[in-house]
Amino acid sequence: MENVTQPADNEALRRSFLGAPDGVAEWFQTTDHKRISLMFLGWTAGAFLLMMIMAIVPIMKTLGGPGMSTRLLLETLTYQRFLQVIAWLVPVLPGVLGFFLLPLQLGAANMAFPALSRCSLRFYVLGLVLMIGTLGTFPVGTGWTLDTQLSQLDPGAFGVLMFALFFLGLSWFLTGLNFIVTVHHGRREGMGFFDLPMTAWGFYLYGYLLVASGLVFAILVLYLAASWVTTDGMFGWLADPMLWRTYFWFALRPVVFFSLIPGVGIVSDVISGLARKPSTGYRTMVGSLIALTGIAVISYGASLFGQGLSPAGGLVFSFLSLLAVVPAALISFTWLSTLYRGSITCAAPANFSLAFILHAGLASLLGLFLASPVLGRYLGATMFVSAQLDYLVWGAGTAALLAGLHYWWPKMMGRSYNNDVARIGAVLYIFGLNLALIPRVLMGSKGVPQDLAGIVPGSLHLAEISSLGWLFVYCGLAVVAGNLLVTVWGKDAAERNPWGATTLEWTVPSPPPDDNFS
Amino acid sequence: MIGSANLSAWFPEWASTHAPDVDVPFFDIYVVSACALVVTVGLAVVFLRTYRRQDGDPDRMPAQGNNKLLLGVWVLAAVSLGVYAFQLGLAGYVAQDVAPYGATEIGVTAREGRWDFTYPDGTVTDTLRVEVGQPVHLTLTTADVAQNLSIPAMRVQQPILPGRTTEAWFETIAVGSFPIHSGTFSALTQDSLATAVISLSTADYDAWVAAVGDIFAGRTMAEVGELLYNQQGCKACHSLDGATVVGPSFKNVYGFEFLTTSGETITADDAYIKESILTPNVSVIDGFQPVMTPYAGKLDDREIEAIIEFLKTLSERGHAAGQEGK
Ligand code: HEC
Repeated sequence: MENVTQPADNEALRRSFLGAPDGVAEWFQTTDHKRISLMFLGWTAGAFLLMMIMAIVPIMKTLGGPGMSTRLLLETLTYQRFLQVIAWLVPVLPGVLGFFLLPLQLGAANMAFPALSRCSLRFYVLGLVLMIGTLGTFPVGTGWTLDTQLSQLDPGAFGVLMFALFFLGLSWFLTGLNFIVTVHHGRREGMGFFDLPMTAWGFYLYGYLLVASGLVFAILVLYLAASWVTTDGMFGWLADPMLWRTYFWFALRPVVFFSLIPGVGIVSDVISGLARKPSTGYRTMVGSLIALTGIAVISYGASLFGQGLSPAGGLVFSFLSLLAVVPAALISFTWLSTLYRGSITCAAPANFSLAFILHAGLASLLGLFLASPVLGRYLGATMFVSAQLDYLVWGAGTAALLAGLHYWWPKMMGRSYNNDVARIGAVLYIFGLNLALIPRVLMGSKGVPQDLAGIVPGSLHLAEISSLGWLFVYCGLAVVAGNLLVTVWGKDAAERNPWGATTLEWTVPSPPPDDNFS
Repeated sequence: MIGSANLSAWFPEWASTHAPDVDVPFFDIYVVSACALVVTVGLAVVFLRTYRRQDGDPDRMPAQGNNKLLLGVWVLAAVSLGVYAFQLGLAGYVAQDVAPYGATEIGVTAREGRWDFTYPDGTVTDTLRVEVGQPVHLTLTTADVAQNLSIPAMRVQQPILPGRTTEAWFETIAVGSFPIHSGTFSALTQDSLATAVISLSTADYDAWVAAVGDIFAGRTMAEVGELLYNQQGCKACHSLDGATVVGPSFKNVYGFEFLTTSGETITADDAYIKESILTPNVSVIDGFQPVMTPYAGKLDDREIEAIIEFLKTLSERGHAAGQEGK
């Protein structure tokens, strides 16, 4: 294995990358994709942490904690979902791993539009700060789906919140645009589309969803804000609520539920990297991802089961969303056969990839229940659906990020982390999450409504078990994050290519120099 | 039907004929998809353990393709899982949409913090009373925000949307009280008292119908008056708090003087109020349109007396008069 960089070079690179000789302004002004990615990591992790702190409120209530008004609880639930979905699940993989890896995997010096990357980050931060601003002053309590008449009645800073969502949507749009153009124009001489690593494919295809959804969502929330101000118009007091519900899911279903697409890309690279073996079915994988992207766009009605979809519409969207079983089968099969007879390094990324397979699998199988027409109608407005979304947010999305971070961390930071500690964290997280969410699935089938502030009699036991699970999740994530964070000050220099992988990012020093390949 | 055992861990008890239509497909999909998950994740775990990197392994392992035959079987299995899930509940899905002939028609009006159930005879209650073995057909509307009629024990889940009328039906098979949830993101609703379906045996149901049929049983005259005010549509045009809606508020009517459109001044005493209810357009209060529905033939003397008693309780001048009227 070639390992030409001297540790001394490595240190110099690390200092110039992480340090800021010209002060904080250098980080503020930077258009370097690697630094943008680190800043995205910081901000998204901050949003997630805030969400975790807020999530303690409903858990406390379950355990008979201090009394608090229902309104306060509904506001908490509302912002928790905004932070989880709009500020975490959708932007986190592109923001952190997408920006870091895309130019490196293509052999480019930077994104196609470096200034636009900075713009994505700034809009994200602006949106996030505005959102937290409304939370701290006049919080909105409509639920994150912003149902028409509830929005009209809301006494909070609804208009400002819509602008926050507008900027977040805009940030998705710009990120997606940048990804697409970078893949089209940034590829190294001679690299064809079918030479792209799977991670790059995942981000490229998700880029299209980000462009479409980001734009539609950003415009929609402006209309909603206008209707809120005038109490009239498309989403005014007298409007049919199905209009908003349909638009909302048309915009968000693809990016939210198919945030699995970049996750699948990342996990494919991690699996074939750890097994030291090319993927057994590259074209199968690419084809499946393209199919998933298509299904993402046409199956939005699946989020309307039990929400007012007509009976015939229910059948049509059941069928369309069930089409996803074919790519799902192809993907899982390819992973398994790549592992088969590999030479697998059983390090932390393997544990997190397994977590991704388990959680993405569970989320998809819960989707199978919902896609069965009679069950979709019964379960569509219960805790069952919110458990499915939790499996995406806390489960698949988070696991994909952690798998990717643990796989590429040596490259990003030039430091290796303690593998055993990371694996202990992974086990706590996986065990805890399922202990926390399976009771919620059960509450769903028992008919407990989706976003209920109180406890339905008879489900108290389940709620208690679930709280215990969350305790494990919090501990696990704290261990994992702490373990990565200490490496920033650690001295344990990473090898250039610890996994023996063949994609381009492993050919440059860790961390990569300013313009990557020079 | 792979397993119908022990559904109780997953579902509320079976209280309606819809229950098997939902529970059995659920359990079947549950068993099959649990197998799929265990096989997939199990194989991944086994491979991760079996093919650990050994000393002396080459730097890169040789490339290898997917086994076409196995892949075909795998995909076929997944497709059959999808088709299975799709068709499994189809019959139940269709059945839930078509209420049987002869079902009792009940109107449901939701508003933040309150449910109104209106029965064929015009009775309005805040809990839904049904008779075992008799299907009910619900017509759902909402006065303000979107809600969800959720009766888990009946396996009924139906959105209630502003500006639309939706429907649901069910037939209970068990006597008891079963919770109804509204599943809306409104503090007002979630704080207010939960409502329920009260499923009664035929004898109890008939007794209840007879009891509510006689509105005077167990009520004072003024209470009957208030009930009629709510049931007979007066509340659509007359407020109780002094606000003018379509007609004058019922606050401070009894015993007060009013100017009519023909210019005379009348005193709202028993006789005038009775006339106003039976033939309202004979003398119309100044400043209002003659739009009130005549209630002649719809309310009998005793009911009108009850309304008058109710109006007395709302009037500053009604109190003294009310004492001697009793
Ligand atoms: C369609 C709207 C409407 C409904 C329904 C209605 N009213 Fe009226 N009512 C009016 C209007 C308008 C007036 C004033 C004009 C008039 O005197 O006819 C009025 C006047 C009255 C008056 C005379 C008030 C006064 O200040 O002297 C009485 C008493 C009355 N209504 C009783 C009733 C009762 C009891 C009911 C229900 C059984 C009822 N109304 C239902 C519209 C309505």
